[in-house]
Amino acid sequence: MIEGVIRIGTNEWEVPVGFVPNMRVPGRFYLSESLGSILEPGAVQQLANVATLPGIIGHSLAMPDIHWGYGFPIGGVAAFSLEEGVISPGGVGFDINCGVRLFTTPLEAKDITGRRDLVDALFSAVPTGVGAKSPLKVSPKTLDEMMTKGARWAVESGYGLPRDLERCEDRGCMKQADSSQVSAKAKQRGVPQGGTLGSGNHFLELQVVREIYDPDAARAFGISAGQVCCMIHCGSRGLGHQVCTDHLKTLEQATKRYHIALPDRQLACAPILSPEGKAYFGAMAASANYAWANRQMIMHTARNVISRLCGIDYNDMPLVYDVAHNVAKREEHQYGGKRSEVCVHRKGATRAFGPGSPDLPPDLGRTGQPVIIPGSMGTSSFVLHGTHAAMEKTFGSTCHGAGRIMSRTQAKKKLSGKEIAAGLLKEGIIVRAPNENAIADEAPDVYKPSDEVVNVVHEVGISKLVARLVPVGVIKG
Amino acid sequence: MSFVEVSHTADVKIHATAPTMEALFAEAFAALMQVMYGPDRKGGIQRTVTLEAADPESLLHDFLSEVLFISDVDGLVFSSARIAISGSRLEAVLDGEPFDRARHLLGTEVKGISYSGLAIGRDANGYMLDIVFDV
Repeated sequence: MIEGVIRIGTNEWEVPVGFVPNMRVPGRFYLSESLGSILEPGAVQQLANVATLPGIIGHSLAMPDIHWGYGFPIGGVAAFSLEEGVISPGGVGFDINCGVRLFTTPLEAKDITGRRDLVDALFSAVPTGVGAKSPLKVSPKTLDEMMTKGARWAVESGYGLPRDLERCEDRGCMKQADSSQVSAKAKQRGVPQGGTLGSGNHFLELQVVREIYDPDAARAFGISAGQVCCMIHCGSRGLGHQVCTDHLKTLEQATKRYHIALPDRQLACAPILSPEGKAYFGAMAASANYAWANRQMIMHTARNVISRLCGIDYNDMPLVYDVAHNVAKREEHQYGGKRSEVCVHRKGATRAFGPGSPDLPPDLGRTGQPVIIPGSMGTSSFVLHGTHAAMEKTFGSTCHGAGRIMSRTQAKKKLSGKEIAAGLLKEGIIVRAPNENAIADEAPDVYKPSDEVVNVVHEVGISKLVARLVPVGVIKG
Repeated sequence: MSFVEVSHTADVKIHATAPTMEALFAEAFAALMQVMYGPDRKGGIQRTVTLEAADPESLLHDFLSEVLFISDVDGLVFSSARIAISGSRLEAVLDGEPFDRARHLLGTEVKGISYSGLAIGRDANGYMLDIVFDV
């Protein structure tokens, strides 16, 4: 382990105050011994940098998929008091409300085995890759509604079912959205990209439920062994990227105005309740809503394709859940002996609210929130549920994915996209991507083993395993 | 070409050297376009960018962020840039062509230009920079 980091449990590590100058609280991260051997010093430095921000409470946290990002580490979680704390785009990321959703189908593995036509049809129907534009017409006026209502706008516009909203974090809408704080430039980027997947690590995957660990929770989530599901991973596209860029600039000025000393410019921030802080929060929430509407539109497209090619009813493909993993939220948490509203940043981390949380729909109240953790192209994805331990230890948060271990430069040298696709095909996984580099960039070997990451959060108890899903058809962005 | 992609786990890190500040900016610009669209990029359509910033790092950050914006909304892929820097002010003429799915799908989308790890330096041989593109 990196020098200066103290082990405090089997999978729990502390970064003491003093690791970098001016830390206000200690850092804490969750990692197994073997994952610790590939931990980058830069990521721990970033975790410690976050601990210097004004108003941070508890610990500067990181999940086991921690890796070197910008501003916060990826996998970073930090909560701030509303009165003294700050909000930072560096704690959310450029892709605001990048997130994942999973819906089930009544199909079984045998129904789609070798169905290249199905993968091809999904690839044609969902715009993917750089420069992709949406066939769905989003006018500037409706863009405003997307940003205000989120997934509800999509459902009211015919892109889904009312029940879908019950199965979205925050019902697919942050009420604090203020589209007037979204620049004209960001809006210009948002208009043609509604319903597009993007590129990089974004994907749409057909998966089969291979293993059930918790039958009761699986039943509550509507998941059964052998069932075909579809997972969608994407975010707020150019609109969210532009909001981050625009507000970083404003907040850099604010950082100076409020005399906040920063160890990294990418941590530019402002007091949560300052005009600049409120403006960013409103614009970020509007972008988060755009992302929920976007994933809702993509799910609608996918449901239509699956319905048409597999002869099943659109209504028989219920949404399990939709989670955001790049976002800042105002949430109530128990802290310092009382319950109070705080601002939780999750940068590459997933909300994992435990049983009894008021945000959950009644039918999930006893189980806890579904947590969806995507793997990589060749490896398993997982469904878990939120826990009381997460509420106590991590402000109701858990990991968000496998976490990269290999850079894109290394990946391209080591692996050819064609070879990887051929190898995956032998395992029964059909891959479609805009280009071969996109496959090499996101090959299974470039990520930490997803099972090791989820085993850590399961062992620590900040979420508990429900089901494992394996990929059978992959649309790469 | 004097920019190179350096190993970075999550994102794309570029190291570049050039004899002048303008040439250094042009290298960073070329790296951005290469990462997004691959090597086959032609000219023909021009766009101008004019902006001011307090320091060279901010100027570069804002310039590349503006290039990302124009490329995205106008659907343009740029091959070269003529850049003039005078104090805190930058003027650039970008030369490019419309995005073509047949030739420009070789790269990956850049979501933003990061301040983390952004450094511009100078020694006896000229200028150098490190910059991270969030992908």
